[in-house]
Amino acid sequence: MADTNAADSRGGDISVNVDMGTAGRWAPVTKLGRLVKEGKIKDLEQIYQYSLPIKEYQIVDAILPKLSDEVMKIMPVQKQTRAGQRTRFKAFVVIGDSDGHVGLGVKCSKEVATAIRGAIILAKLSIIPVRRGYWGSLLGDPHTVPSKVTGRCGSVTCRLVPAPRGTGIVAAPTPKKLLQLAGITDCYTTSRGSTRTLGNFVKATFAAIGNTYAFLTPDLWAKEEHKKGPYQEFSDILAKATEKRR
Amino acid sequence: MSKLPACLNATEEDIRYLLAAQAHIGAKNLNVKMIPYVWKRRPDGIHIINIGKTWEKLVLAARVIAAIENPSDVVVISARPYGQRAALKFASYTGAQAIAGRFTPGTFTNYITRSFKEPRLIIVTDPRTDHQAIKEASYVNIPVIALADTDSPMRFVDIAIPANNKAKHSIGLLYWMLAREVKRLKNQIPRDKPWDVMVDMFFYRDPEETEKDTEALAPTEKTPSTFPMQESTWDTENVTNDWEATGTAAIGGVNPSIVATIATNNPTSSGWDMPDADDSGGWADTTGTFTAVSESFAEPPVPVEPTTAVFDETNAFDTTGGDWADDTNNPSTGW
Repeated sequence: MADTNAADSRGGDISVNVDMGTAGRWAPVTKLGRLVKEGKIKDLEQIYQYSLPIKEYQIVDAILPKLSDEVMKIMPVQKQTRAGQRTRFKAFVVIGDSDGHVGLGVKCSKEVATAIRGAIILAKLSIIPVRRGYWGSLLGDPHTVPSKVTGRCGSVTCRLVPAPRGTGIVAAPTPKKLLQLAGITDCYTTSRGSTRTLGNFVKATFAAIGNTYAFLTPDLWAKEEHKKGPYQEFSDILAKATEKRR
Repeated sequence: MSKLPACLNATEEDIRYLLAAQAHIGAKNLNVKMIPYVWKRRPDGIHIINIGKTWEKLVLAARVIAAIENPSDVVVISARPYGQRAALKFASYTGAQAIAGRFTPGTFTNYITRSFKEPRLIIVTDPRTDHQAIKEASYVNIPVIALADTDSPMRFVDIAIPANNKAKHSIGLLYWMLAREVKRLKNQIPRDKPWDVMVDMFFYRDPEETEKDTEALAPTEKTPSTFPMQESTWDTENVTNDWEATGTAAIGGVNPSIVATIATNNPTSSGWDMPDADDSGGWADTTGTFTAVSESFAEPPVPVEPTTAVFDETNAFDTTGGDWADDTNNPSTGW
């Protein structure tokens, strides 16, 4: 998805943006981007509810300014050419706000810094909501996974099991980082397969975390009243924007 | 099915139009999902579509289209030539956008492409040939309305209008009816009076047909290889001379009778150079008048004196194409 240009040059010229406080002025290209910039969409949950694909990473920046990222690994990968090997660096970056949103980005590039930057962008685009629940009594804030969930990637399966408050995250360093950034306080984990392949391991736990909202529990049985999607609700604003552009 | 107000029922005229356009003629193959729309299978294998259901789905589709607040959020798509004119006309009458011809992959998914669009709804002429558009719509939450024949794949199609999508009259009529219905629902045209736009505007026209109808313009150059002329096709009112059918001319040359009719029909033409043989076709079935398409060729025509049947090629234009360049006095050798 990211093209070969440096990540920051995408989307607009560099000038100070008063509202956002981001480095450059972002000129959104997608409908969603425009709505976010106008401030019509205030949180990611609105986007998730209608399964809208996020194509511009500045959307996430605008909605979740306090994201911290963590580079899990820089992996040199090589391709054979007749003049030797061509080495590139693959960066795995996990991003999260420690309060219910995580993202995972993988990017390969000739330079480490570019790879990391690209991976951060991809991580922002892949942000996913994390559902947290209770182990026992529904006292206080949710702190653990709502149910046993599992995720697979390659040969690796990662299983997350609800834990009582105060347990902490019982996991290997790799998924531990992910779960911390997700905002899960207590969790037991089990894993199987070649967990040494960090790429697959981290993707497996990411999938498991994603499955927390894929699991239909009885409290979700109630029917939700159908509301208008943001594209429909704000179609007049979007129409104006396209008119201006034309 | 649903209890719609009576004004949305099909009138007898609508049904007659549909039948006349052969919109009820399906294909020999039948897709499982289309079974509810098929009325019967003819002994020769062709499935007949239930036109009542065609009308119902058409009305449903029109209601959906009319419900989109911004009409330009609807994109009409047709890769096949038979639907391109209809798609463009539909778009112009309803305010939608049209993608006629090649659907650039990434139009819906890649925000960097110049043709990047984010529609709320797409209308497709044929799910099979326009499958790329349908596939991309599935990536970005865009519902799909499709003109579906009995053998059309239904994957990712949300509203299927069962109809013949192989015949140009059928496609044109369907789009015409859709556009009319949308405009009626939006109260832009009245229900009691017929729409002043003719159905023919939505029909696909072969380039030859378009040539036939336009007035005197710069004539097109013919393709050297296509030249099965019969005299009858050249009958126009303006032709005063009775030309013997001199058969087809030499490759690279021009049928003398054509030349004559051109001359008589193009009084305004001032000069005419026969360009090289690498030109587009269009002469094959034209009468003496030529189409606007040929305006792209800068060469103006040279009037040829309509002489007698004895045709001396030196009279006509120089043909530089082909092997016949040397054959000056044998215009109609054995063809």
